[in-house]
Amino acid sequence: MAQWIPADTPIMVEVSEPMALLGPLLSPEFGKSVTTELENGKANLKLQEFQGVVAAVELQLGTDWRAGLRRLAGKGLSFCVDPSGATLLAVDGEDEKLLSKLNGIIWQFASSGADQQNQPETVASPNYRGVKTWKIGTNEVHALLGPRLVVGNRTSFLNKVLDLRADAGGKTLASSALFKAAREAVGKEAVASVFLNLQTLRETPGLKKALEEDGNPVTALLLSDTKAALRSASWFALGLYVSGDKLILRTYTDGAAPEVSKWTSFSTLPGAGAELLPPLTVPGTIASLSLYRDLHSFYAAKDALFPERTSGLIFFENMMGIFFSGIDLTEGVLSEVRPDIRVVVAKQQYDPAVGTPATQVPAFAAVLRLKEPEHFGEIVEEAWQKAIGLANFTRGQQALPGLIIDKENQDGVKYTISYYRPPADKSSGAIDARYNFRPSLARPGDYVILSSTDALARDLINAVKQAPSTPAKTSPAVNSLMEIEGPALSAILQANREPMVRKNMVDKGDSREKAESDIQMLLVALGHLDHATLTLRRDAGRPQAQLEIRFK
Amino acid sequence: MKPDPNDPAWAWAPFQPDAARPWDLRLAAHLYRRAAFGGTWPELQRALSEGPQATIDRLVHPTPGAADFNRLYDDYENAAATSAGYGSQAWWLRRMIESPQPLQEQVTLFWHNHFGISNIHVKDNASLCRHIHVLRQHGMGSVEALLDAVLAQPAVWICLGARDNGRRSLSESSVRILMEQYTLGPGHSSDSDVREGARALTGWIISQGELRFVPGEYDAAPKKILGQEGDFDRKALVRILTTHPATGHWLAQKLVRWFISDTAKPSDSLLAPLAKQLTGDGSTAKGVEMLLRSNLFFSAEAYRQKVRSPVELALGIIRPLEGRTGTVRLAADLARLGQELYEPPTIQGWAGGLAWINSLTTLGRAKLAEALLAESGAYEGKLDPAAVAKRHGRATNDGGRQFLVDLYLQGDLGAETIGALAAGPSATGSVDTRAADPRQIAARLASLPEFQLA
Amino acid sequence: MHITRRDFFKETAGATSMLAFGSSVPAFLARSAAAMEAGQASREPVLVVIQLSGGNDGLNTVVPYQDDAYHRSRPTLRIGAEQVLKLDSSLGLHPAMPAFRKLYQEGRLSIIQGVGYPRSSRDHDAAMEDWHTGVLREGVPPGARSGWLGRAIDAACDPGKTDLRGVFVGEIKAPFSVHTERVVVPSIKSLEEWLPTGAAWSDSTRAHDSGPSSATSSGSPSLLAGVRSATANARLIQPRLIAASQAIHSQNAAAYPRFPLTENLATVAQLIRADLGIRIYFVELGGGGIGGFDTHANQAANHGALLRELAESTAAFVDDLNHDRLLDSVLVMTFSEFGRTLTESGRRGTNHGAAAPMFMIGGRVKSGLWGAHPSLTDLEEDAPKFHTDFRRVYATVLERWLNLKSEKVLAPGFAPLDGVLV
Repeated sequence: MAQWIPADTPIMVEVSEPMALLGPLLSPEFGKSVTTELENGKANLKLQEFQGVVAAVELQLGTDWRAGLRRLAGKGLSFCVDPSGATLLAVDGEDEKLLSKLNGIIWQFASSGADQQNQPETVASPNYRGVKTWKIGTNEVHALLGPRLVVGNRTSFLNKVLDLRADAGGKTLASSALFKAAREAVGKEAVASVFLNLQTLRETPGLKKALEEDGNPVTALLLSDTKAALRSASWFALGLYVSGDKLILRTYTDGAAPEVSKWTSFSTLPGAGAELLPPLTVPGTIASLSLYRDLHSFYAAKDALFPERTSGLIFFENMMGIFFSGIDLTEGVLSEVRPDIRVVVAKQQYDPAVGTPATQVPAFAAVLRLKEPEHFGEIVEEAWQKAIGLANFTRGQQALPGLIIDKENQDGVKYTISYYRPPADKSSGAIDARYNFRPSLARPGDYVILSSTDALARDLINAVKQAPSTPAKTSPAVNSLMEIEGPALSAILQANREPMVRKNMVDKGDSREKAESDIQMLLVALGHLDHATLTLRRDAGRPQAQLEIRFK
Repeated sequence: MKPDPNDPAWAWAPFQPDAARPWDLRLAAHLYRRAAFGGTWPELQRALSEGPQATIDRLVHPTPGAADFNRLYDDYENAAATSAGYGSQAWWLRRMIESPQPLQEQVTLFWHNHFGISNIHVKDNASLCRHIHVLRQHGMGSVEALLDAVLAQPAVWICLGARDNGRRSLSESSVRILMEQYTLGPGHSSDSDVREGARALTGWIISQGELRFVPGEYDAAPKKILGQEGDFDRKALVRILTTHPATGHWLAQKLVRWFISDTAKPSDSLLAPLAKQLTGDGSTAKGVEMLLRSNLFFSAEAYRQKVRSPVELALGIIRPLEGRTGTVRLAADLARLGQELYEPPTIQGWAGGLAWINSLTTLGRAKLAEALLAESGAYEGKLDPAAVAKRHGRATNDGGRQFLVDLYLQGDLGAETIGALAAGPSATGSVDTRAADPRQIAARLASLPEFQLA
Repeated sequence: MHITRRDFFKETAGATSMLAFGSSVPAFLARSAAAMEAGQASREPVLVVIQLSGGNDGLNTVVPYQDDAYHRSRPTLRIGAEQVLKLDSSLGLHPAMPAFRKLYQEGRLSIIQGVGYPRSSRDHDAAMEDWHTGVLREGVPPGARSGWLGRAIDAACDPGKTDLRGVFVGEIKAPFSVHTERVVVPSIKSLEEWLPTGAAWSDSTRAHDSGPSSATSSGSPSLLAGVRSATANARLIQPRLIAASQAIHSQNAAAYPRFPLTENLATVAQLIRADLGIRIYFVELGGGGIGGFDTHANQAANHGALLRELAESTAAFVDDLNHDRLLDSVLVMTFSEFGRTLTESGRRGTNHGAAAPMFMIGGRVKSGLWGAHPSLTDLEEDAPKFHTDFRRVYATVLERWLNLKSEKVLAPGFAPLDGVLV
């Protein structure tokens, strides 16, 4: 299809093997299980709509909808958007006759509908370059080119495509250097791909703002050179691959961060063979992250990275200055932390004696390693206790209850916990959201575990003891790795179903039925996720992300 | 009886439509604007067929579903109040749109304005949320019960200065507020009354966000307040204040300002019958009912004599279109226009009237109308004037223009304006193909100066 | 690229057709339009207040670089004669503020030293509330409080009219200074969020060009007239605001770094140029709340960055206004809720103090240092003592600049300062 698309089209999505993607979704067993889930979860509205449409189509085409889909779209799909926002969809089917029949049916519906409304002029069938096109209303136009159906929302765009098809030597996307480079990077094994011309798209206000240097140190730390690279890239591509029961998404770009060192020095693994530590897992893990980030070189470059001094940054430095009693943050604190940083998010088990909050926040923890635990460990301890103290003081000023600090022992590792006094009134059902948090600090060996709950701290003490420091099994130069457990993620969302429904109701003004239906659709979709893995690495200076998804 | 708005006998007599003042769409819509934030087309039509007094019956008397509805929404608001952001205010706005008894929401808003308790000083959403619930619970009942419940609330004491005050009592300026703003009005309490009133309120302290009584701090000696003498505590002070004739008068004046007109300056004799309904065995419900049923309410003195507050503006656009939008964004937009729910500027509430209006807020109000009615964007096109016109058989070639003029403005436009609206394409010469677009028409109407008046 | 007032007026209806609207045009607009035509720029004085949140360290802003006590007490933070930007033989500006020294040399900047108040608070919230209310807290229940600028704005707005006299420009929630009892003070994060874009707005108001008020049965004549007048104003200013919004976006970033304060002041400049009748503008630097100026630790770099943002943004603002000869009608005033201690905190920072200097910038300030620098040997709890009550500075600005009676805004007894304004 790209050989008929104008070269300046900035967005192009191609699905070369729709059946490879949709195959598992089309099996009758899957369909039954989804239907049941949707019905149980009251997603009735959407389900009924969908079932109605499907039945109507089946009747008209005289075919089972699954088989029909195969014959109509089995050979490929393409979708593109032109600089003015006009869209075009091309569907390549196996069965030209069936496509033609479908077209006839649509045309019949449209023209009779137009006649009924007394507006026959809204449907028309002009010829263009010897091709019969059909127009329905102001926002639809389509043409049938053999076994390829092309549908668009603007005649001018469709006509350009038909021009390129009729005349040789036009400037097509297929011949554009950027597109060719992107296609080559994605490779032929991809079942689907997305191409974005960043030279054009970068000017759109939304994207421009998203890629701006926003001075947010957290995103700069996590994403490192990604944004900077995209600011200078000419193209960006996504490839979708199927490998066994896994779906793999990989990004490609020709952009590299300018002034390489300031953006990449803190996330570059040293030397060949150096690899990330494996992410930690505990019972109930929802997500687990392993990063290589040299905090010292990151913060040492802060003047170059964040020329604008945000009040958040100043506040952070103030607080760190207080907690660490004036030790210089860059040279005295961050230089003591090794670049191996791991984060774990896990489902909480609430103490029945205390109660369960209405909104359930999962437990989260950061696991760092110190270079000199004997010397610096107690400094961290002191800073932690100061932080809790300051939080208590501030809360006290607002007449809010504070945290009580205590020490506990796990297999010879003494660790510090803090907790709120249990609620006085135990009968009132769901308790306040603060009971989601029991901030704790543990220092087994050279590790420092900063956790939002004591239970997670205990689990992580065990986890670091058991897990040897052998590297994770990832491709070279991966500097960030995140694992997500589907069932655990679903469970935490299910637990928060009612707050999510209410938020949907009041944010969008929807009725309860619609909100429940929408949330249920989301939960059902997520329910099929088994496991996902996200990695970030650099390939010849260019950032690359990969997402691997396994379905149940 | 000759129609004379200054004659209490005429003013408060129940309105009977006649040739001079017929019961028509304009008066029906006026009633719904003031009592229900705006009427839908079926509501207006039903009102036309049933007559004013029967319609007021329906608006004033509690509907069967209302109690359950309010319980459900109380729950929603309480849950949302525990997190930061506009959650619970958004649920209140939604309640105003959806309530089977919108008059109760009008009255709750009236009391919110009257007591002027603001989260700027309380800094606790949940506390304000509970305050509003109390206002709703007692807002239609006896004034004494309402003030009693209000003075049991920590949020109120915080705004009156309890947190700042080292001594275990309210300062005299705070008690003066209680007497001059909340009950008697200015000029009825002497310095001695204020001092003695402060003594009656001793013993109450704010502790961990709750109001607690410390018997040891209570000044139990007899007090002399407003001509009465005795061992008066908080409850007794409330009774003295609310049974004082000046209170009925002061509250009557406020109700007239809220329900009749922004510019009204009612005489004492005019207020007397209304004051009587509010005090003694009376209640706010009785007073409001008398107001709504009256000749005065349906006279030219009241008709389009209020400037819509931002809440009334938004609801006046949303409710007639039988729709419902997301209200979190709405709460923020209304705050920007000067009416942040839970945050009246001072104890005196929102000044209202022309204070809402300046050149920027006028632009802002037009922008809100535009956003509410836009097909996409922040409010997701949930309001659909075309569908409403069609549903009531009024969709015609003019894009529903006449229907919308009837629904929103009941024809209260100059002939030139109607003509200009009919002209459609903009004067810049470019043909506006969406000139007959009902959304555009509705947005235009809601931006007119006439629409800013309720 | 600067858009002049003339360009604005050319783009809009034009002065003569404005007068055709008759009584619905507010007098001042008609007056200034006439003045424009006559070639003068007769302008009501405008006040721009910049709040520095967190407690600005006055001693490192206006530096007593020859004072031994200063050098002894600040081993790591002190600024010596070699780095300071000299103002005179004993005082200089922080090296990050060459833009302010330039303004000083051009006669546009004045520094009022030693400003504070008796028994001043060193707690952020309490001190800020004191500066916001004019210390009208004692004996005033919270629910009855308002900001001093809020009271000024209320006083400057005729009840029964719909004038726009004050706005806050910024991202945070409007500080309590501009909290009014009566009128609405718009908070402007961006001009776009205030501007309707559709044809609906312009068509609906255009509908009114064609005739006088419609049937009187449709409401109170005075309310309707008030709303109509505001609508007429709104229609006049909308094209100016749209142009202003576009100008802000297209202003070249290469000219100077675009800090957030630069953007906010650029918006203020455009609003001043658009002549909407606004007399009081409020902006903020430091992010509100505990604020960026609260430099307890690692003060040197952070304080320097903030002072640079303040100086360069204000200088750009001054340049902008000067281009259109508007500077003579604008006065900028900076304040912070307290100064900081003389002695370093041990974390290369400073703690909460009391007295601090205030900057006054504009076309009609009497450039120089007003008042003596507080002694560094006679301190109160390690901080310099004040000699000038900040409410006198407020009174100066109210009476001598805005022509408002200060008793409408402040407690009695605060005489304006002489020799601050020309």
